[in-house]
Parts: sequence; C-alpha cells; structure tokens
Amino acid sequence: MKITKLGEFEELVLLTVVALRDDAYGVEIKRELEERLGEKLSVGSIQSALKRMEEKGFLKSEFGEATQKRGGKRKRIYTATPYALKVLRELKEIRAGLWKSMPRLAHDLKMI
Amino acid sequence: MMQPTTPRPPEWPLKLLRFFLKKEYLEEIEGDMEEIFCDALEQEQSYRKARRVYIVEALKLLRPVLMKNISGIQPVTPYPMFKNYFKTSFRSLMKNPLSSFINVFGLSVAIGICLLVYTFMEYDYSIDQYHKNKNEIYLATFFAASDGATQQYGTAPRPLGDLLKQDFGQVKKMCRVEDRNVVLKYDDNVFHENIRYADPAFLEMFTFPLKWGTASSLADLNTIILSEDMAIKYFGEENPVGRDMLVIFNDRIKKTFTVGGVAATFPKSRDIDFRFLINFENIRTAEPAYDINDWSKFLSATLIQVENPSDLKAVELKMEKYRVLQNAAQPDWAITAFAFEPLVTLHERAANIKDGIAHDYNVEGRIGMPIIAIFMIVLACFNYINIAIVSAAKRLKEIGVRKVIGANRMKIVVQFLTENIVVTSLALVMGIALCFFIFLPWFVQFTGWELELRLLNQNLWLFMIALIFITGIASGIYPAFYISRFDAVRIFKGSLQFGKKNPLTKVFLAVQLVLACITITAGVVFTQNNHFQNNRSWGYNQKDALYIEVPDKAAFDRMHAAMVRLPDIVSVSGSADHLGKTVSTAVLRTTANQSYEVNQFSVDADYIQTMGLQLIDGRSLRKDSETDKQALMVNETFVKHLNLTKPIGQFFEIDSVKYEVVGVLKDFHTKDFFSKVRPAVLKLAAEQDYRYLSLRVKEGGREETHKALLATWTEIYPEIPFQGGYQEDVWTNYFDSVDRSEQFNKVIASIAVLLASLGLYGLVTLNVSGRQKEFSIRKTLGAGIRNIASVILKQYAGLTVISLIIGAPVSYLFTKAYLDMLFAYPMPIGYSGIAIALVILVIVLLAVVATQIRKVLKLNPVDGLKVE
Repeated sequence: MKITKLGEFEELVLLTVVALRDDAYGVEIKRELEERLGEKLSVGSIQSALKRMEEKGFLKSEFGEATQKRGGKRKRIYTATPYALKVLRELKEIRAGLWKSMPRLAHDLKMI
Repeated sequence: MMQPTTPRPPEWPLKLLRFFLKKEYLEEIEGDMEEIFCDALEQEQSYRKARRVYIVEALKLLRPVLMKNISGIQPVTPYPMFKNYFKTSFRSLMKNPLSSFINVFGLSVAIGICLLVYTFMEYDYSIDQYHKNKNEIYLATFFAASDGATQQYGTAPRPLGDLLKQDFGQVKKMCRVEDRNVVLKYDDNVFHENIRYADPAFLEMFTFPLKWGTASSLADLNTIILSEDMAIKYFGEENPVGRDMLVIFNDRIKKTFTVGGVAATFPKSRDIDFRFLINFENIRTAEPAYDINDWSKFLSATLIQVENPSDLKAVELKMEKYRVLQNAAQPDWAITAFAFEPLVTLHERAANIKDGIAHDYNVEGRIGMPIIAIFMIVLACFNYINIAIVSAAKRLKEIGVRKVIGANRMKIVVQFLTENIVVTSLALVMGIALCFFIFLPWFVQFTGWELELRLLNQNLWLFMIALIFITGIASGIYPAFYISRFDAVRIFKGSLQFGKKNPLTKVFLAVQLVLACITITAGVVFTQNNHFQNNRSWGYNQKDALYIEVPDKAAFDRMHAAMVRLPDIVSVSGSADHLGKTVSTAVLRTTANQSYEVNQFSVDADYIQTMGLQLIDGRSLRKDSETDKQALMVNETFVKHLNLTKPIGQFFEIDSVKYEVVGVLKDFHTKDFFSKVRPAVLKLAAEQDYRYLSLRVKEGGREETHKALLATWTEIYPEIPFQGGYQEDVWTNYFDSVDRSEQFNKVIASIAVLLASLGLYGLVTLNVSGRQKEFSIRKTLGAGIRNIASVILKQYAGLTVISLIIGAPVSYLFTKAYLDMLFAYPMPIGYSGIAIALVILVIVLLAVVATQIRKVLKLNPVDGLKVE
C-alpha cells in the first residue's frame, strides 16, 4: 500500500472527528480527545492537525451554527472524506494483521 | 464565583491572532477561543486563571500552518539584496551619464537652494534668542487709535517705567531706552552717530558679553560703552577703556565721557543691539527741558524683566490707572490699552508694532523663501519622475529578470526607492557644495545678512536627512510603483507599449512646463517692475535738488548767506522737515471734532518751488504774510482720505491753532515706494526751527554746487561732519533693495529655466533614443527633415500649448500677488511680461527639440537598426 502520510496524532484527531459526527468541531474534538487520552491538549495543536488533514484531503468542512457561548461566531464542522475512511480502515487492517501475528511471536519469545 | 457582568477575555491576544492568522480561519478560531474561555471560567471559577488559559492557548495558536505569509518577515537577511541594489544603482547611473547628470544636478541645485533657505530661516528665527533671560523680558507696548483702526505701538509714556518698578513687586528689572542723534569726537575722528540712553539694567537684561571693561560701569553717569565696530572705528584695534570721548549733544551742550566697556562681537542673528550706550539720566543734561514725568510724551522703549512670566497677566490688569493718567494728559492721543510683548517673539511680531525697538526686514523673505525652495524641489522632483519613467524602459529586462527570480512587487519598489535615495544623497553632497561655495556667498554679498551654513549644527543634519528622505521618496514613489507593475512575461515578450499610454507622464511634463512658465514670468516681470519703480515719479522734481542738514538757525543763516551767492542757484529754502529725510506727525482736528493723524512738513514759502512740488488747486504759501502763518497746503491723499469735496477754505485745528487750507498739491512720496502715500499737510515753519537747507540748481550745476556746499560747510563747521547731498540719493537703500530683489528673482528664474530645460532635454533625448529604430526605418524609407521634425514636434506641441495656456494665467496671478505683497505701488502687470516669458520658454523648448532632431538627422540608419 501507499504511504498514507497520516501522523499518529492526526489519526487520533481523524478518528475523533468520525466518532463525533455532526458535533465534530474544534473545541468539541479537543474535549473528547482530552477525555479519552487523559491529558491536556491545546487548541493550536488540534487546529493545526485539522488544517493539515484538510489540506491532504482527509477532511472536509463547512460552517455550522453560531452559539451565544461562541460570541456569535460560527462553528466549523469537520467530516471525514471517503478517502480518509478508506485509509483508516487500511490502517486498522494493517494493525489488526500485526496484532494477529503477535501472540505467536510473543509466545515463541516467552514474552507473554 | 461569577461576576455580575459576564467577564470578557483580554483583548490583545485576539488582536495578535487577527494580525497573524490567515483570514479564512479567523471566525472559527475566534469562536473556539471564546468557548475555551467560557469553559475555563466554569472549571476554574477564577477570572485570572481563565485569562491565563486563554492567553496560553492563543499563543499556542501561532503556528506556521495557521499563519499568513507576511512579506515583511523574510527568512533571509535583506542586506545582500541592498548591496545589490546599490551596485545596480551605480551601474545604471553610469550607463546613462547624461540623464543621471541631469537628475543629480537638478536635484542638487534644488537642495542647494533648500539649504540656503534653511540657513536663512534659522538665522531669522534665532534673532535675539541668545539672551539668557529672553523668556523673562518684555517690551511695554500700548494700543491707540490710528486713522480709525487700533494700532499697537512699541513706545511708552515716559513715567511708565518708573511706576511699573515701584508699583509691582513682580517687575524685577526695568530699563528705559531713548535714541538720539549726536556728534561724537575723539581726536580727529568726528562723526554723526546714533546714541542710546539706557538704564544700567539694560546690560543685565540683555546679556551682551563685553570684550573689555565692565557692564556695571553703565551705572556711572560719565561712562560710555561702545560696540566692537564703533571701538574699531574710533580707536582702532587697541583697548579704549579709560579713554575720553566728547559727545556733542547740540552746539551748546557738550559732555566728556570715559569709555567704560566695549561689547564683544554681537551674534550675527540679532535685532536689538547698540552702538553707544550712556546712562539714561544723561538725557537731563542733554535736554534740560526733558520731563520724565510728562504723561503726554513718549520714550523709545520701556523694557521689563519679570521673575515669572505668568505674573504679567496680573500686572496688565492693574494698568488701568496709568491709562487714566495718560488719557488725562494727552486726550488727543489716548491710549486704549497696555500690553507686554515677549522678547522671544518680538522680532517676528515687529511688523505689527509701530515704532518698536525691534525691526523686521524679513517678512517677505520669511514667506517668499520657503515658497521658492518648495518650488525648486517640486521642479527637480518632476524632472526626476519624468526621466525615471522614461529611462525605466531601458531597464525593463532587469525588472523582468528580478521578477522571474522571485522578487515581488514590494521588492522592486524598495529597489527603486533605494536607488532614488542613493541619487538624492549624491545630490545632497553636490547641493551642500553648491550652497557653500556659490549660493551662500552670493546671497550674503547681495543681502548683507551674514548667514552661515554651520555644517556641525545638529538641526541642519536632521533637516538634511529629512530632505533626503522626503525628496527621495516623493520623487521615487510614482516611478517605483509604475515600473514594478509590469508582468515579467509581457516584458520578455516585448509586447509592452511602454510609456506612450501613460497620461500621468504627460501631466508631469505639463506641470513642469507650468512651473517653468511661472518662474520665467516672475523673472521678466520683476525686471520690468524694477524699471517701473526706478522711473516712477516721486511726485516732485528730485533732479537738480540738493539738501543739507543744519544744527540750528545760526548755521542755517550762515549757509544760506553763502549759498545764495553761487551762480547756479535757482532757489534756496529752509524747512524743519524734509522730503525723504524727516517728517513729523500731527494730529489734526476737524470742525466736526474728528481727529486724524497726518504727516506734517514745516517749511518756508519757497520750499514748494525749490522741491518742485506741483500745485493742482488753490495757491502756494506766501512769504511774510501774517495770515499765512495759519495756512495749510494739503496733498491729494489728504483730500481723498477726509472725503473733502471743496478742500480750499476748510478749517482744521492742529495743537489748538486754527488753520485754513489754501492749496492742494499733487501726491508726493515722503518715504520710499514700499510705503503708501499718507495724508500730508505743509505749513510755514518758524525760522528758528529750520533744520534743512534745500537748493534747486540750474541744469548741469549740481556737481559744482555740491562741491561748494561741502567746502563752505567744512569751512564754517570743521567739527561737525557734513550731512546732505543730492535729493536723488535719499532713497539709495530703497533702490538698492529693489535692485537686490530683482537680481535675486532673475537668478532664481534662470535656475528654474535651467532645471526645466534640463528636464525636458533629458526627456526628449531618452524618448528619441528609444525610438531609434523607428527613425531609422523612416529614414531608409526616405523621410526628410520635415517628416522627422514633425514627428518629434507633434509629440510635444499639443502638450506645450496646453501647459502654456494653463501656465500663462497662473503666472499672471502669481506674479501679481507677489508684487502686490511687496510693493505699495506695484507695476500694473500687462501682457508684455507674460508674452516675453512665453517666447523665452518656447525658444528654449525649440532649441532642446532641435538638438535632438539634428541628432536623428545625423544618425546612420544602419546603426540605428542594429540597436538591440
């Protein structure tokens, strides 16, 4: 397969976008990820990952609603492109394949 | 803890984000940041912490992915690029030596003139600013009605000074000043001099340093203090302190003074100074009748020094009682208010203060010089702009290459501006040289003002740096933007129609022509005006008239007796006042009890004939007639001013004596042509008041009579220097100054014409050389001189005609305004001046174009076609 140019952090953000569906915008993604990872993230890191992925064609975005809390500014809702979903699936399969071969290896090496 | 109003996040991080982040991301990110702040506020329950979170998040957002491309932030240092700019500027300067020379020379002439104007303005503004107490010294002035309007006067009632000192604690020092003419004698040196009576505080208030002696010696009644010039005049280079000088106040009163001090060289930018200073109290010796307590009399100046300038308001308010005293003593000449004028601005305001101790000769210069400087700079800038645009055609490829390699538009603009500043700096160096070696010495020589260009002056450098940047950028900004606009691709394709379609180039050339038109017209009109002023009638016959000043009646009689014997004499007369020399002022009261201030001449009956005054109505004054002692002759302006329909037989009161008007004289000039003719009256003088003897001689007899006059005088009065001469010479200063301004304007006009024609020459040359191929083709196809000349001329003819059509009326209005400002009786401007100017301009234009036509005609078409 081709090199997907998807970094580890980017992959996490991408998965979060997919998971959040219609609610996938900057701060919500940050909250979700912070909860799951159990560590603080900055808006800057999330935003730069989003922008990079949008540039690479993993994400699409459009303006959503504006809320009082956001000072009247609209959200930008991100959705994964079919290409991104394909890449994610491929990555998952690669990992799954790797995991499958792992117990045998571990057994042989007496690691588990 | 929530505050009553919703707490807002700080402003500045948002501004930072707005500045640095890409526009399209801003809305989303700003919204996110708002949410972050709200969340943080809820979680932390503290505004301070939420704020910190907000700021940290904002700073973390500054990532390259999210940021705009700011061209100002360059990853590499720009210095090598600038080095390259300098190199290319010098190369392109060298490549086109002619147009570079025109640019640099034009700019340097303009800069030279700017520097000259700067030195002049600096000189003017630093006048009298070197006194240590300048901020505390004030001149007492008053307001009084003069011909219906309120006029400020720089003199003061005699007792005022003493009372100010007594009544107000705020007045620290006070000094009264009187100026008188006396004769001074030391050994064989005898001269008429102007002497200044002053209180000893004079030298404490005005801090003139002394070269020899002490300032406190002024307190001594028998001491005289000299200026350096005067010390040299009487004593040479040696120290005169302790020497005795004889002051002859008049032929009865003389007093010996001991020199107590000599002032060091006065600073050049000064207005108030002195030649001879003696203690004020000496006025009682010189004029026994002098009454210091007389409120109806005025002395030359009263100056005070106060501790704190803000105290003055209080003093001014309490001066009402002095006004009452003065008004009671002199109801004819009632003061309406007192005011104090600060020394700091005294020179600047001097033109508004009548009879002040300070004078202002520079008003016109202060207005005119900066106008000239701006004019020149504008002219030079337009030259530069025109030439730069046209010569850019030759550098299009360079610009194309730069653009292809990666220079953006700003870079090209910066390059051209850098180049421009290099050119301007070169021009500055030349300009300094021009100013220092040519303009300034010339200006100093013809104005007599001792200006100097102090190259170490810090302000001068600031001015020069500002000048470089302003001229550099003003002249370069348009070419830079214009040139940098072109597409690299179109440049290389050669599909650019360069310069032809640019209307602004034409506008610039037109402006330049208009400016040239104005300056040439000014030069021509000033020359004409000079002739006009020189030949203007004085209102009387000044030719073949002579005069001599006499100290008293006895001297008059002796001179009179000697003179009437001479063969060439037509008439001799005596007077207390004299045309062009002395005029007194009288307050005249009409029967309707209105008062007017008029010029008064006390003369004898023959004076009108002797001076050649022209009678237009009534009769002349009669000799030996008792009734005519109360007769008046008036001038036309007097009749007009008082709206008299039948002047003859009208009665007026002067000093409570009734006079009847018996004759009307044609207007005559009592002062030079800068000042308007004022209403004047002539009346018979008492014989003991005669101070002038005037003579009319037969044609051709002036030299002889002058010699005889001088000889008789020295024979009778060896001690008193001769003062008199030809009546024609009484305004030498005036005619000198008219000559000076003519000369100045001629030089300025020539420089302007030079600049304009240089600019045009450069422009035409570049244009023609850019079209070499076209002309070569025309020539090979058989074009002759007519065809080529018409092609070149056509390009400029329309433009020239339009600019001259605009230029002529503008020049007319401009020169008219300028003349009106300078002269009370300006020359009526006809069309001849402008016509001459236009002819000169057109000839210059044709000459310039002709050189180029000649060049094209001599060109070998084969060479022209070979040009790349």
